[in-house]
Amino acid sequence: MASQPAASSCTVEQKRVGEIDVLSVAGVVDMLTAPQLEEAITAAGKDSPQGVIVDLSAVDFLASAGMGILVAARDELPASVQFAVVADGPATSRPLKLVGIADIVGLHATLDEALAALTA
Amino acid sequence: MSTFGMPCTGTQFAQIDAAANPQNAARIRHEFADWLGRHFTLDATKASDVVLAVNEAMANAAEYAYVTAERPGAMHVIADYDWDAATLTVTVTDEGTWRNVDPATAELRRGRGIPLMEALADRATVDSSAAGTRVCLEWDRITSARARA
Repeated sequence: MASQPAASSCTVEQKRVGEIDVLSVAGVVDMLTAPQLEEAITAAGKDSPQGVIVDLSAVDFLASAGMGILVAARDELPASVQFAVVADGPATSRPLKLVGIADIVGLHATLDEALAALTA
Repeated sequence: MSTFGMPCTGTQFAQIDAAANPQNAARIRHEFADWLGRHFTLDATKASDVVLAVNEAMANAAEYAYVTAERPGAMHVIADYDWDAATLTVTVTDEGTWRNVDPATAELRRGRGIPLMEALADRATVDSSAAGTRVCLEWDRITSARARA
């Protein structure tokens, strides 16, 4: 196993795909970095997009602090804004499914599937 | 160590007296993940489950253990491997009182740390007393990557 960086690092990049804001998250989402994700989701919501997708494909580690942000986002985004999460793998989709969050937030294994679901 | 009746059986990973804060939780998580990878042969799912569960225990200590104190107290993370049973046991202890937090603190109820630990570990127990809290996480069928000493 490669050794981990000393600090938890997280990057969030926003891009627009049609009427959907896609937030591509990379690195670690834990209690230290979850606020970054929360800010990014809030900012995306203000664009009045049709939907917001949080793409966790490049996330190595997702703590319950990050999962809580996803659930809160679903509640706090304007009702007119759809929401979906992309995640696949033992570090992300597995725990999301284990605690039932996958059902709450709309979990998809790939960005293409999430975009298709939101624009259907 | 006799605190909470922990037996000394050749403990291999120990982080004692770390301030219970998010930075130390992240640091210890990284060191624990490295130690895990060096000492055991785990598939990606098991490795992920173990590290996440341990993280959640530390996150609870960092977030709730000392909420009424002026500054964070200590947390202790100890991992023990039972060669005969092929069982890995990780305990995370603190001397705080997070289980006695004012019920009006809704955060504790919204948290998913405990359900996550229970889902990720073969056995997860949380024991709280006035002296603090001990979280004990156990995994069976863990294969050591090293020969028995």
